[in-house]
Amino acid sequence: MHGAANSVPPHAGTEATFTESIVLESSVDSADSTITKRAHYAPPWADVSIIGIAGSSGSGKSTLSQAIVSKLNLPWVVILSIDSFYKSLDAESSRKAFRNEYDFDAPDAIDFDVLVERLRDLKAGKRAEIPVYSFEKHARIDRTTTIYSPHVLILEGIFALYDQRVLELMDMKIFCEADADTCLSRRILRDVRDRGRDVEGIIKQWFSFVKPNFEKFVDPQRKVADIIVPRGVENRVAITMMVQFIEQKLLEKSKHHRAALTRLQKEALTEPFSNKVLLMGQTPQLRGMHSIIHDIDTSSEDFIFYFDRFTALLVEQALNNVTFASSTIVTPQGYKYAGLKSRGEVSAIILLRGGAALEAGLRRVINDCKTGRILIQSNVRTGEPELHYLALPQDINQHESVLLLDAQMSGGGSALMAVQVLVDHGVDPGRIVLATYSAGRMGLHRLTKVFPDITVVVGNLVQDVEDRWVEKRYFRC
Amino acid sequence: MSSSLDKPPTVSPVGPDYRSESQKPTATVSTPVEFDTVTVLPQTPQLIALLTMIRDKNTDRGDFIFYSNRIIRLLVEEGLNHLPTVENTVTTPVGRVYDGLSFQGKICGVSIMRAGEAMEQGLRDCCRSVRIGKILIQRDEETAQPKLFYDKLPEDIAERWVLLLDPMFATGGSAIMAVEVLKSRGVPEDRILFINLIASPEGIKNFATKFPKLRVVTAFVDQGLDEKNYICPGLGDFGDRYYTR
Repeated sequence: MHGAANSVPPHAGTEATFTESIVLESSVDSADSTITKRAHYAPPWADVSIIGIAGSSGSGKSTLSQAIVSKLNLPWVVILSIDSFYKSLDAESSRKAFRNEYDFDAPDAIDFDVLVERLRDLKAGKRAEIPVYSFEKHARIDRTTTIYSPHVLILEGIFALYDQRVLELMDMKIFCEADADTCLSRRILRDVRDRGRDVEGIIKQWFSFVKPNFEKFVDPQRKVADIIVPRGVENRVAITMMVQFIEQKLLEKSKHHRAALTRLQKEALTEPFSNKVLLMGQTPQLRGMHSIIHDIDTSSEDFIFYFDRFTALLVEQALNNVTFASSTIVTPQGYKYAGLKSRGEVSAIILLRGGAALEAGLRRVINDCKTGRILIQSNVRTGEPELHYLALPQDINQHESVLLLDAQMSGGGSALMAVQVLVDHGVDPGRIVLATYSAGRMGLHRLTKVFPDITVVVGNLVQDVEDRWVEKRYFRC
Repeated sequence: MSSSLDKPPTVSPVGPDYRSESQKPTATVSTPVEFDTVTVLPQTPQLIALLTMIRDKNTDRGDFIFYSNRIIRLLVEEGLNHLPTVENTVTTPVGRVYDGLSFQGKICGVSIMRAGEAMEQGLRDCCRSVRIGKILIQRDEETAQPKLFYDKLPEDIAERWVLLLDPMFATGGSAIMAVEVLKSRGVPEDRILFINLIASPEGIKNFATKFPKLRVVTAFVDQGLDEKNYICPGLGDFGDRYYTR
């Protein structure tokens, strides 16, 4: 799930990358051999900013990270703890660990290779599976936590600033300082409470491992830090500074994202739609239904009835664009018929809230369709689309086709983001069919310019950006 | 009799226009017919897949009902396109003007019992609270001719457009009798739409010759009739598969 690991941080070099993010490149369309220009879209999470917070055990790193996250209170700022990357112990080391004789406070205990790999994935805008380490069992458990689409990630741990490869990915490096007495007493309290240890063992560990390692490995990290923060969470000035830094990063990302969307819009309007944009025919029935649906004086009962009736047809139309294979069957009379069958599973993704209005229509056509949900909302101040919630079928990358359902697409910003989310989860754009009750020209252009391989089925084409009135009518609020 | 069975079935690549022929799988599609009054649904891959499902003898009753309802809704939607309309401009909730249409004329459904009644749900999905009359026609054991056993029709049926429902259009014997009943109640031929899932070329020809102004809407025209007058390849007995089997 989006932001499942609750964490945070920002990143450098954003300006250059984001302004450059819409690049036109030429590619040859194999179907008709014409040169088509494909635009690129970089979602705001494509270049996550990473903040490292290192410091002695008990120096208040995680309290500090949490303070920053709660101050920002945004779903796309997440904390990642280096503790998740402890190596699973072999039998021998495990026995040592249970006797408190294993050195958890040396860099060797951390699997930096996996950490670097995951951070690079996140930096590339991809989804990262974060291992879950059990301190009771001294081993990784089967489950993983998914981090996807943070704009800022805070990497927190005693060795957050240790590995050169990690340092290269960071935008801000913080070293937390606290005196040794404070650290030890915090550590005792925490390990007894949260990690099922006894006091004797904790003290043994402290003097045999924690303290010598601090001097040898942890403390030298202050040399690479940008900021050294004494007194941890009590240091209000430092917290405010870090929050401001992150807010600045978020603002830059938002600006670049919006600028990129605007640029796409300008480029898009000059060309005709691709042949993968399909408008529903203007038959008398469809026009009649549109009239009832559009009429402000239509009762809610009628609105919902006709909207459901229309969307069932819209979904039927969308399904003509999934892939089929020949299939010969035998009829009850023993005759053969050479027909077709769907090549594989078709699932649907509801783009909330509007897409949920198409769910009744969807169920009339595929009653047991696996259905994922994505909530993208436009920021009321800036109009920038923001990803708030994500729940996709686990095996979505293996589905033959994925229908993306929305009621109204005007600017195309949220549709673009939704398609990007699907692509990030391994869905080939050629397998995506977007079905929407109505769409604006600009949004359609924008979307198909970036993703020329997706198919779009549109009930009703409108000229301009419109308020999302359909979902308001359908849900009556 | 079954001369049409000697011709090979019509096979064609099926799929959206943007795919090249080689990207489209082939399937048997509807046999071409030459009458203007006959509308065959567009042979989309989805329609062919639905028909494949309901033709398959291994499809269970639940799936048979679900998939045939989907086709019936598409048929009703297409049938309703033949009703008269008037221009109608409306104002939308956001103040935009939409130039649309509204429907003229009252309609009713008439199902030929029992299989035709299976199409009533699909009709109601599109037209809530529509009036539905019923006609029972059975084969007379002595003469082997269809015989009218029962009918119950809306009283004002002469003023309505009639959607006549019967899923399998083989020789058209019962449908012809049903149309005669409707005409005797004052319904003009050109206000009757005969809606069926699968038709035979023989039935369509019979009908179009006898009722040149009556419109037929079907999902598929099959290859022909076999020696027992079953539609070939057909899908078996629709009523049995929908109701009892």
